[in-house]
Amino acid sequence: MLRRINLFALALCSAALLAAAAPAPRTAAAASEDVPAWLKAAAAATAPAYDKRVNAVVLYNERSVGVEEDGRVVTTTNYAVRVLAREGRDEASAHALYLTDGGKVRELKAWLIRPSGEVKRYGKDETLDMALKPNDVYDEARLRVISARDEAEAPGTVFGYQSVTEERTVFSQDGWSFQDDLPSLLARYTVTLPAGWRASGVVFNHAKLEPAVSGTTYTWELRDLPPIEQEPNSPTMSSLAPRLAVGFVAPDAARGAMNPSFGSWQEVSRWLSTLHDPQAEPDDAIALKARELTADCKTELEKIAAVGRYAQAVNYISIQMGLSRGGGIRPHAAAQVFAKNYGDCKDKANLMRAMLRALKITAYPVAIYSGDRTYVREEWPSPDQFNHCIIAVKISDETQAPSVVTHPTLGRLLIFDPTDPYTPVGDLPDHEQGSWALVAAGGDGQLLRMPSMPPEANTVERTADVTLAPDGSISAVVRQRAVGQSAAFGRAVFKGLTSSDYQKAVEMWAGAGATGAKFTKIEPADSRAEGRFALDVEFTAAAYGQSMQDRLLVFKPAVIGRTGTGWLAPPTRKNPVVLESQSFNETARFKLPAGFDVDELPDPVKVDSDFGSYTASYEVKDGQLLYTRKLVQRAATIPAEKYAEVRAFFGRVRASEEAPVVLARK
Amino acid sequence: MNAPFPRLRPVASGALALLCALVFTALATRPAAARSDKDWKPIDPSELGAAAPTVEKDADAEALFWEVYVDDSQPYELSLRNYVRIKVFNERGRDAQSKIELPYYGRQQIKDVAARVVKPDGTSVELKKEDVFDRTVVKAGGIKVKVKSFALPGVEPGSVVEYRWREVRPGSADGLRLAFQRDIPVRAVTYYLKPFGGMRYRPINMGDARFEKDKDNFYKMSMANMPAFREEPRMPPEDAVRSWVFLYYSDEKKLDAEQYWKETGRRYYEGFKDLIKPNDEVKAAVAGIVGDAKDDPEKLRRIYDFCRTKIKNVSDDASGLTPDDRAKLKDNKAPADTLKRAQGTGSDIDFLFAALAKAAGFDARVALSGNNDDFFFDRGFMHYSFLGSIFVAVQVGGSWQFFSPAEMYTTYGMLGWPEEGQDVLVTDAKEPIWVRGPISGPEKSVERRTGKFKLSEDGTLEGDVSIEYTGHLSFAQKEYNDDDSPAEREKTVVELWKSRMGAEVTDLHIENVTDPVQPFIYQFHVRVPSYATRTGKRLFLQPAFFEKGVEPLFPTATRRHEVYFHHPWSEDDQVEISLPEGFALDNADAPGALSGGELTKYDPTIAVTKDGRRLIYKRKFYFGKSDGMLRFPVTSYPSLKNYFDEVSKRDGHTIALKQGAPAATSSK
Repeated sequence: MLRRINLFALALCSAALLAAAAPAPRTAAAASEDVPAWLKAAAAATAPAYDKRVNAVVLYNERSVGVEEDGRVVTTTNYAVRVLAREGRDEASAHALYLTDGGKVRELKAWLIRPSGEVKRYGKDETLDMALKPNDVYDEARLRVISARDEAEAPGTVFGYQSVTEERTVFSQDGWSFQDDLPSLLARYTVTLPAGWRASGVVFNHAKLEPAVSGTTYTWELRDLPPIEQEPNSPTMSSLAPRLAVGFVAPDAARGAMNPSFGSWQEVSRWLSTLHDPQAEPDDAIALKARELTADCKTELEKIAAVGRYAQAVNYISIQMGLSRGGGIRPHAAAQVFAKNYGDCKDKANLMRAMLRALKITAYPVAIYSGDRTYVREEWPSPDQFNHCIIAVKISDETQAPSVVTHPTLGRLLIFDPTDPYTPVGDLPDHEQGSWALVAAGGDGQLLRMPSMPPEANTVERTADVTLAPDGSISAVVRQRAVGQSAAFGRAVFKGLTSSDYQKAVEMWAGAGATGAKFTKIEPADSRAEGRFALDVEFTAAAYGQSMQDRLLVFKPAVIGRTGTGWLAPPTRKNPVVLESQSFNETARFKLPAGFDVDELPDPVKVDSDFGSYTASYEVKDGQLLYTRKLVQRAATIPAEKYAEVRAFFGRVRASEEAPVVLARK
Repeated sequence: MNAPFPRLRPVASGALALLCALVFTALATRPAAARSDKDWKPIDPSELGAAAPTVEKDADAEALFWEVYVDDSQPYELSLRNYVRIKVFNERGRDAQSKIELPYYGRQQIKDVAARVVKPDGTSVELKKEDVFDRTVVKAGGIKVKVKSFALPGVEPGSVVEYRWREVRPGSADGLRLAFQRDIPVRAVTYYLKPFGGMRYRPINMGDARFEKDKDNFYKMSMANMPAFREEPRMPPEDAVRSWVFLYYSDEKKLDAEQYWKETGRRYYEGFKDLIKPNDEVKAAVAGIVGDAKDDPEKLRRIYDFCRTKIKNVSDDASGLTPDDRAKLKDNKAPADTLKRAQGTGSDIDFLFAALAKAAGFDARVALSGNNDDFFFDRGFMHYSFLGSIFVAVQVGGSWQFFSPAEMYTTYGMLGWPEEGQDVLVTDAKEPIWVRGPISGPEKSVERRTGKFKLSEDGTLEGDVSIEYTGHLSFAQKEYNDDDSPAEREKTVVELWKSRMGAEVTDLHIENVTDPVQPFIYQFHVRVPSYATRTGKRLFLQPAFFEKGVEPLFPTATRRHEVYFHHPWSEDDQVEISLPEGFALDNADAPGALSGGELTKYDPTIAVTKDGRRLIYKRKFYFGKSDGMLRFPVTSYPSLKNYFDEVSKRDGHTIALKQGAPAATSSK
């Protein structure tokens, strides 16, 4: 489900191509006469003083959309940006998106106004036309681009462009972000509808904003938007920047070629079901395969898991056609995907659904937003909010799994993402946990909150048996057991690398704190069906502990590092802190060298907070040091006002994990 | 490297070569392996049933064969017909081999695409023609980059996938590189070649591989069990370690390298002599440039510095020129133009330097060498394209010295590292000669770091740092930074020190970023919370401040390719730390020196002032020498790794400070 289209980084070769094709520059005088009035006015605007890290300011950002009854949508974009520092030169770029089937770019032209007032104009000769997703086998979405990057280095340079695109579409909704991370002096969205139509909009991440209405023209406008700073562990930009969702509502008789503007999630569900349901018919080959896969399965969950594994193994191949007619949402017929053994997310979900149907198990497609669990908002019923498709399987009470939600009418549903090859049935990728998603079940469809796993469902358990010699060398036997998304991560690394590259990666990770470590055993064990991943490592390292004049021996009991939230270094912060649900538990036994006593042990640590807890303890007994540490981190979005608390928490964790033990010769 | 240099066909120059080519063309009535789209070579059951790769034990997929018919028999068209068969062993292999993209551009064409998948049970699925997509990836100003793409149907672990396509491009195979190593291992790579006439080839890293005569006027070269090519850090340039064959046409009758390069040196001399000829304006200018220089080296230095500091190098990315500015630039046709306009390309500046040197009475020539950044050249590679670097040779005191003012940041008396230590061809009208170029020793490329800090009771370290680079190290720093704005440069430094040790860098000054002559210098104030680890009664401190948080140079136990260091270098650190009140050294000792013969030495020392209040740490390190390239075979990797691991460990040496202990009076 990939109708939603995002811009991607421009290929470097583009610059070379343009250089090869570059015509002689136009004269400055001819170019300046051509500058539109809106751009001249924008270039003259005064912007406030910003932090020195702000490299550019948007002076003018206007999207004007004209909708016609026959489904033709003409979009005009006028955009101007001022470069404040050389690092902002990348902002001097114009783009116009179009679909080769039913869409076109009517016009794309740009102007660069240097601080001296000299103007350079850009047109067809400087325009790149490129595939939006060059790695797809086929995708009709394309992009026209003008980049003035190399001419926009001087602070004060203004770049502006105007694009006019045309699209014939069945979609009667639109989405628009008023800004990205840059500050903006003016951001305006205008839509003009046919007579008798009306627009309905909602603005996210901002106070309620009413449009100015004139006839059938609706305008939403924001001014003087401050910059949005990107910080580690921050919410995504789509959760921070104000953005508009708007629907074009036609009188029933006048809707023409366009779909209705959805008034409820049930309507969206019904519409999605009309696209999906006919494609999910199992043919004989699918039914045979489903029975073959589940022949030895004794329970409902085992059957679902077997079919899920098969769907995960279908090759992910993206071929995007007929996007303006819903081609990005309608899956290919299950029989076709089964025969070719490839497809995209909706194809995989649909094939799995067909197989389950052959087994008399009901399932529904689920529309979700992959990569940002806060993207989908309940208050705007629209298929335009989703970029991914997973599956909900109706289950009986006998089936128990963490990824189960209860639907008010459909009952218990097991949620599963067959596109993620590393997350088994019963678990859900972390970026989908807790997000809103639409179960497309005709009139019974509903937006549901996806399940969130508790920290103990995403955990790493580690034991280490370490023998420390008087010269500081160690031999270590480490056993690590992961479940949930931690296991999925370990599995992804294991499956994603060749065995020699995997070995190198483990050596670098486990040996990071023990330079020159020599590994005698690296043994991964993947139990995907159970959602577990194990890794056993054995190594020796000379001089891990440091001997000081043969009287003191100093070493850190945290031999191997821990993945997860690190130290939050900046003392202040603007955005909330997003924490994932996870836990970590380590028990390390050090056999201490004969002839040494413990001279100093780090203080035990016990920290508790709303978002988690951390404990570390040390116990010396019978020539052994027992070191334990345990971190429990709950999923949370913590407001910036509480940042000091979060920073102090992870500061104490870090200090504890760095603390050494001091042994002294008796 | 004196591998044989056989010819595909007997020497045939001029008309004879053309005649031979026409005859061969006429005889070649049909391609040697012509077959219809539906004809696939039979698959051996053992290949279909293979459970494990044979070339590399952990390969995800392995090409069973990769055949390419290179047909250069037509005068204006080159055809490359590919046929590849791949066995898929696991899911990673399936994912990697399921989607095929065949890029092409300009007047190239991709034709006759066919593919199929044979499943482990022997059933096969053919690719349908409608499932081959032809799409334009990017288009600008009439230039298109296109790709034919398709997804192979029904691929699963155990499958054999095979596909064919033909690439047709204008031109000839002259300069073509035939890859024998791919991104997956291949059991048999075979090239069939039908040349136009007078073709030669040079196999690289392939022993004495030869083209042998095959049927239908094709010549055949085959290699078995070729491993996949993978990059590693600090490896030689890819073309120096990868297996490939260089094809080119030549009318030379003899294959004597000495003769070939002499002739090449003469041609270059003729080609360049007018470009470095001083006219009256240049002759008039030189007096003012050399001024009262006392001797020849001083004269050359002044000319060299003049060319770097007074002539704007428009080839440099930090010249500040926009594309529009560049479009308006006029070509300099002679050194006098470069002098008059006070700007020129890198080549213009080299030529001006040579002309000024000649005007000052020196014998100056254009000189050429290989480029170690691309390939390790030796004279056996008899093709002009292997001499990729051009600079200036000047005779001083009876020997040739080399200069490249075109490289803005190259220190006087040095060449860039890609040119150092190589055979240099000094051009001449009659007797061009080869001269071994020097390698700058470790004392020429120094990283000199000083830090003066105060340590607090809580372990915070705060103080001032200065880091200076010379030689090749200075060149690298300047090139890295000169295209960045001051804010970008600052960000680079701030992020680096933050990532290493959580340091907060302030009051940063970066000097001589675009200065061709002066060393590159960073100076900043730094505060590092928790630099020293505090326990109940001690502080643990790593005196080697500049090495804290630096990753080991060679973290992995195994190695595929030889190790190559671009140039020798040295490091010279001095760290002074004022200790917190009430703390004194507790059983402190120094890590001790390490030596690797003449190649390398590591020498750290730790001392305290008499009052016991200041710790003074010094570290001297060098690697490399001036009489050989720093290339280490794979067999010496373990000892090289051990050495650098040991240096890293000693850099991590920690000393203890104890609260309430009596102050130490000295330590070493």
